[in-house]
Amino acid sequence: MRILTAVLRTIRNSPKLAIGLAILLVMVLVAIFSPLIVKGIGGSTDPLELAAYERWLVPGPDHLLGTDQFGRDVLAMVVSALSVSLQIGAIAGLISTVVGVIVAFVAGYKGGWIDGVLSTFTGILLVIPTFPLLIALSAYAKNVSLFQVGVMISIFSWPFAAKTIRAQVLSLRSRPYVDLARVSKARDLEIIATELLPNLLPFIGVGFASSALGAIFGLVGLEVIGLGPGGVIDLGQIIFNAINTGALTLGAWPMFVVPIVLLTLLFAALNMVNIGLEEVYNPRLRGVAGE
Amino acid sequence: MKSELELRGVEQRFHARGVAAGHITAVDDVSFTLAAEPPQVVSLVGQSGSGKSTIARNVLGLQKPTAGSVLYGGKDIFKLSRSEYDEYRRDVQPVFQDPYAIFNPFYRVDRVLWKAVKKFGLTTSRSKGLQLIEESLRAVRLEPENVLGRYPHQLSGGQRQRIMLARVHMLRPSFIIADEPVSMLDAQVRKHFLDILLDFQREHGMTTLFITHDLSTVYYLGGEVMVITKGKIVERGPVSTVMHEPSHPYTKLLLDSIPQPDPDNRWTNRITVDELEDQEADAKAAAPAPETPII
Ligand SMILES: Nc1ncnc2c1ncn2[C@@H]1O[C@H](COP(=O)(O)OP(=O)(O)OP(=O)(O)O)[C@@H](O)[C@H]1O
Ligand SMILES: [Mg+2]
Repeated sequence: MRILTAVLRTIRNSPKLAIGLAILLVMVLVAIFSPLIVKGIGGSTDPLELAAYERWLVPGPDHLLGTDQFGRDVLAMVVSALSVSLQIGAIAGLISTVVGVIVAFVAGYKGGWIDGVLSTFTGILLVIPTFPLLIALSAYAKNVSLFQVGVMISIFSWPFAAKTIRAQVLSLRSRPYVDLARVSKARDLEIIATELLPNLLPFIGVGFASSALGAIFGLVGLEVIGLGPGGVIDLGQIIFNAINTGALTLGAWPMFVVPIVLLTLLFAALNMVNIGLEEVYNPRLRGVAGE
Repeated sequence: MKSELELRGVEQRFHARGVAAGHITAVDDVSFTLAAEPPQVVSLVGQSGSGKSTIARNVLGLQKPTAGSVLYGGKDIFKLSRSEYDEYRRDVQPVFQDPYAIFNPFYRVDRVLWKAVKKFGLTTSRSKGLQLIEESLRAVRLEPENVLGRYPHQLSGGQRQRIMLARVHMLRPSFIIADEPVSMLDAQVRKHFLDILLDFQREHGMTTLFITHDLSTVYYLGGEVMVITKGKIVERGPVSTVMHEPSHPYTKLLLDSIPQPDPDNRWTNRITVDELEDQEADAKAAAPAPETPII
């Protein structure tokens, strides 16, 4: 209850946060209802089936965004690809955040040599150029499931979450209210869960948003250069198709433009959420970063 | 049961960059004893960075000293059995400096009081718990209805600091470790706070280690005083003796650096000669050599 009112108050105070969240909400709703939307587009036929319609139809009343080289409805493809992209982002974001939070808490709260080891490890992962590694990994991952893609990408994105959150844990750990909890016989885990975690929620949100964003765009990057793992069709895969088949010269521009617009919108929305949260919780930035 | 709290050759080093030794010694071979019986006030004065807060953290078991030991009832506080630890926790309680940072901004202020009730098993009944809380709030001259159910930012610094005193009142520890509890309060609220502390000493037999950099509060509280500089205790004794006939040059410096230290004209309404003399009889701190080798 307290969390809910705090969240509402925060949103009301920051238009950036509100707009970002609204865009995200719409996208998530589209993703959730994508099976229904796809069905609605296709009617009796499955619009994602190969040769469901004629190939390379230009946008028109029957196919708002036209069809692709296999005769699939582009709108239906984009809708389900959006859902796939968001799911990969959510999976990778969730794994990164959970791993990042755990590592950050152990390192930041325990301190000492444990912190030394974990921070060094995190630091090494942070400076390793991850993109070539991802390319190498994807060479072995030809027919992987959506979940596996998410896991694969999160291997590289959790250190970002860990780094941000550790810094916050360090600053919160020495707060007098943590000492007060300790002299009141609270255990470490209890202190982490009840004293630190609530105050870290915004940063955990930022960590989640950034790593989800990183995962989605990492995958798009791989796919655009033709190295994406096979088996999943996300927004990047559609863009790659469009480039590969010369869709633009065939008048099928929506296949290229619409996924890019959606990705841009997603990027903008997640960043607005990040900036909004930071402004709310770091008042020094207010008015400097925005307005 | 009344116990003793003793520091024996406590040394606290911290790693530090840019120092020749690679570390600084925040607390250097400090030994003293706080006796619960008879209840007393022992002040620890020293300037900023002299190691006062570090000593408080050592005594409270929040920081394990790098050498020496803190003993409660004769036993090292970091090697207590479960039941001894519970007793130590209940018996040694803090009041911290910053009344703003002591409350988690996420929760209502009631929470620290309820935590005390639950964690220390004061009662299991909710109505009894509320009764205890209200009783303790009144003991520190707070109206329960004015503070319960509020968030920390809705209360004044003085109110918050008195809630911490109410918490102490509920737990009735033998020892209060007060680390600059009044440095962020204005003069009138400060006096109010000190009076409550003196009441606790008289009525509930609590011994206070009062940490401060302000000599006028030391005068006001009376009792014993220890002067610390650069992590070492350089002078100790009854307040009146130390203030009127300082033996260590640093104490003289400290006395000279405050504007018109005139103990007889400041806040005279509470200090009587009798009271001071009573307290002078207590607590001659023993200072044995450190036993633990330095790491
Ligand atoms: N956790 C720590 N890590 C490193 N150095 C520390 C730590 N805590 C304290 N110090 C150092 O130890 C010394 C003593 O600090 P301490 O906080 O005990 O001083 P103090 O007497 O309480 O000062 P003040 O009156 O400003 O509160 C300082 O030099 C401080 O920088
Ligand atoms: Mg201090």
